[in-house]
Amino acid sequence: MSSKALAANPIYKRRLWVNRFNMTMSFLTMAIGMTFLIWILITLFGKGFAAFGTALFTQMTPPPGAEGGLANAIFGSIMIVGAAIFIATPIGIMTGIYLAEVGRDNRIAKLTRFINDILLSAPSIVIGLFVYAVIVAQLKHYSGWAGAVALAIIAVPVVVRTTETMLLLVPNSMREAAVALGAPQWRVVTMVTLRAVKGGVVTGVLLALARISGETAPLLFTALNNQFWSTDMSAPMANLPVVIFQFAMSPYEEWQQLAWGGALLITLAVLVLNIIARVLFRQKSN
Amino acid sequence: MAFQVSLGENAAAVASDTKIELKNVNFFYGGFQGLRDISLKIPEKQVTAFIGPSGCGKSTLLRTLNRMYSLYPGQRAEGEILFNGENVLDPKHDLNALRGAIGMVFQKPTPFPMSIYDNIAFGVKLYESLSKSEMDDRVEWALNKAALWNEAKDKLTQSGLSLSGGQQQRLCIARGIAVKPEVLLLDEPTSALDPISTARIEELVSELRKDYTIVIVTHNMQQAARVSQHTAYMYLGELIEFTPTAQIFVKPKDRRTEDYITGRFG
Amino acid sequence: MSHSNSFARQDAIFARVTQFFALIVLATLVGIIATLVIGSWQTLTQTGPKFFVSDVWDPVRSLFGGMAPLWGTLITATIALIVGVPLSFGIAIFLTEMCPPALKRPLGTAVELLAAIPSIIYGMWGLFILTPLIASIQPTLTATLGKIPLIGVIFQGPPMGIGVLTAGLILSVMVIPFIAAVMRDVFDTTPAILKESAYGLGATTWEVVWNVVLPYTKTGVIGGIMLGLGRALGETMAVTFVIGNAYNISMKLFEPGNSIASSLANEFNEASDPAHLSALITLGLTLFALSFVVLALSRWLLSSLTAKEGKRT
Repeated sequence: MSSKALAANPIYKRRLWVNRFNMTMSFLTMAIGMTFLIWILITLFGKGFAAFGTALFTQMTPPPGAEGGLANAIFGSIMIVGAAIFIATPIGIMTGIYLAEVGRDNRIAKLTRFINDILLSAPSIVIGLFVYAVIVAQLKHYSGWAGAVALAIIAVPVVVRTTETMLLLVPNSMREAAVALGAPQWRVVTMVTLRAVKGGVVTGVLLALARISGETAPLLFTALNNQFWSTDMSAPMANLPVVIFQFAMSPYEEWQQLAWGGALLITLAVLVLNIIARVLFRQKSN
Repeated sequence: MAFQVSLGENAAAVASDTKIELKNVNFFYGGFQGLRDISLKIPEKQVTAFIGPSGCGKSTLLRTLNRMYSLYPGQRAEGEILFNGENVLDPKHDLNALRGAIGMVFQKPTPFPMSIYDNIAFGVKLYESLSKSEMDDRVEWALNKAALWNEAKDKLTQSGLSLSGGQQQRLCIARGIAVKPEVLLLDEPTSALDPISTARIEELVSELRKDYTIVIVTHNMQQAARVSQHTAYMYLGELIEFTPTAQIFVKPKDRRTEDYITGRFG
Repeated sequence: MSHSNSFARQDAIFARVTQFFALIVLATLVGIIATLVIGSWQTLTQTGPKFFVSDVWDPVRSLFGGMAPLWGTLITATIALIVGVPLSFGIAIFLTEMCPPALKRPLGTAVELLAAIPSIIYGMWGLFILTPLIASIQPTLTATLGKIPLIGVIFQGPPMGIGVLTAGLILSVMVIPFIAAVMRDVFDTTPAILKESAYGLGATTWEVVWNVVLPYTKTGVIGGIMLGLGRALGETMAVTFVIGNAYNISMKLFEPGNSIASSLANEFNEASDPAHLSALITLGLTLFALSFVVLALSRWLLSSLTAKEGKRT
C-alpha cells in the first residue's frame, strides 16, 4: 500500500477526522477547566481583597449588620489546626514506620493499611459526628480540643500514607549496610532510613496541614464557633471555616464580605503550604 | 586480523533497486546535532544493518525514516529522505500514511494491553474494514509469517502479555506485517531476548526479506553479519562506511570501521 | 553477649511502640463504626429498613425517612461524574499528549493546586456566582429542553438557581482536578516505546490514547474516578451552600433537595429530639457505608482487572 493510496482511503480519512475532532474536544475541555479555575480565583481574589485591611486581622467577628474582623477566628483556626497536626504527626509517622519497617506484610500491618485507606476516604462530616459523640456529647459542651481531634483524625491517614511510601523508597541496600554494622533496628530506622526521607515525611505533614486547614464539616459539631476572643481550647472556639460558612449563608452584606476575606486567607494559606511542600519535595528528590 | 566475523550465506549482496534514499540528512536534538550529513541508498527487499558504538546515531537514523522523532518537540531533521519518490521529511507529508507503509519493531517487545488477536487486528483496522472471516485470515497469515501461529493459535483471546519475551517480539513483528507495509524497521529487536529467541528472530528476518525491505539497527556485529546484505557503520553521528556486508567485515575501507569490528574499540 | 541482648530488647520495645500507634489507627475506625451504630440504634430498631424507603422527614411529628437525602447524595454524585469524568479525561489527554512542553508543568501544577483549594471556596463560589447564573438561564432551558418528552422533566423546577443540578455542577468542578490529576499521572506511566509502537503502525494520537494508553492505564483511571466519586458522595460544604435544603425526591434537577452531608450540616446542631438525632446519625452511617462500598468496589475492580490481564512476564 503506497502512502498516496492510503491518503485517499475512506477509512483513513474518517480516522483523521475523528482524531481532529477528539483533539479539539480535548483542547476545549482544558480551556473550560482553566476558565473555571481563573473564574473562581478572580472572584475569590477580587471579593477577598476588598475585605482585607487591618480590621480583618485585629477586630472580632461582629454581630449581624456591624463592621468587624476575623481576629478571633484566625487565632482559633491556628490553635485548632496546630493542635491537630501536633496530635497527628507522631501517630502518623510512627504508624508509617510500623507499616514500612516493622510489620511489613504481617496481618496487623495489612489490616492497618486497609483501614488507613478507609479513613483516608471517609467523609469528613462523619468524622465530625464521631468526635461529637465521643467528646462533645460526653463533656456536654463543644470545645476547641474536640475540633482538633476531629482534624487530627483526618490528618493521620495522610501522614501514614506518605511516611510509608517514602520509607519504602529507601533502597534495602542502605538498611542492610546499617544492619551489617550491628546496629539495632530502631537505630537503623531513626538514624538511617527516616533520615534519608526526612524531606518526604515533612512534605506529607505539610500536605496534611494544608488538607485540614480548609476542612469545615468536622468543625461544625465539634469546635462550633465563638463570637469572642478565646484562648481556651476546652470551650467552643471560633475558627475560619465555620465563620465563613455562617457568614456566607447569611443575608448581611458585612458578614458576606468578611466571609470572602476569610475564604481568601484560607486559600492563600493552603496554596502556600502546597507550594512549600512541592519545593521541598523537589529539592529532596533531586 | 585479530578477529574474524563469520559471514552467513545472507551476506552475499544482490543488485537491487533503491527503496529509500537519504540525501544529506542532518538531525538535531535541540542544539545538539545527532546526525551529520548522512547520504545513503537502502536497497529494496534486502536487509540493511546499521551498526556502531552506543550513541553513534544508528537508532536516531532509523527513527528519521518513519519520522518517529516528530513525537518529541525539539527534535528535527533536515535534508531529504526519498521514499517511493516522495520526500518523507516534507512537513506536508502525511505522517500516519507514512507509518502505515513503514512498520517498526522496538528494542523491547511492546504488545498492546489487549488480546493477541486484537494486537494484530488493531493495525489492520486502521486501514481496512474487513469482515470477521477476512480478519481471521489476516491474523492467521500475519502470525504465520512471523512464525508464531503454531504457538499462539490456541490462545488468540489471551493477553499479548501472556506470551514469552521472544514470542512477544514475534507478535510485534506480526503486528507490523499485518498492515502490509513495504518496509520494516527493526530497532535492536533482540537486545532484550535470550540467545534461542534471538536465533528465531534472525531466521525470521532472513525469511521476511523476500517480501519486505528491512532495516535493522544492532549493537551485535555477528548479528549484522548473519542477517544483512548491506551494512552501514556509524560513528559520532557520521556515516563512516556503507558497503555490502561481505565486504565490510572482510575488508573494511576505513580504519575506524576496522577498529570497531575487530573489537579494538567499542 | 549482653550487648546484643540489650539490642534485641530495644528492638522488641521499638516494635511494640510502633505497633501501638498502628493500633490507635485501627481503634479509631472501630470507634467510628461503633459510635455510628450505637447512635443509629434507635432508628435501626424502631424504624428499621423502612427508614431507607420512606421520604417523609418531619421533625415536628418526629417522623424520619432517609430516602430523600440518600437520593440527593446519589443524584448529585452522578451528575458530578457525568460532567466531570469526560472533562477530566479531555484535560488529562491535553496535558499528556497535546500540551506544548513549556506549558506542561505550569498547567499540571494549576490542576493540582485546584484540587487543593478547600471545598468551602467552591461552595461560596457556587452560591454567589453560579447560582444567579443558573437562575438567569433556567427559564430558557425549561421552556426549550424542558419540553422534550421523557427527559424534559429533568430541566424543570422553580427558577431559583439553587437545587440538585447546581450542587452536582459544583461537585463536578470540584472533582475534575482530582480525577484529571490522577489520569494525567497514570497516562504518563505508559512507556514511550509502547506509544511509539502504535504510532509506528500509523495510529493517530486519539487512537493511541484510546486503544493503547487507556487500556494500559485502566486500573489507575478507574482508581481516579472512584476517588472522585468518593469525594463527591461525602462532600459537605460545596453541596450545602447550593442544594436548597429541602427533603424532596424528584427527577426535576432544578428542584431544591438535600444530600446526606448537607442534612447533617444543617440540622445536627439544632436537633434535640433523640429520634431526630438518631435519624441523622443513621444517615451518617449510611454515608460511611457508601464511601466504604466505593472503596471496596474500586479495590475489587482493580484486582479483577489485574487478574484478567494475565501473567505479565
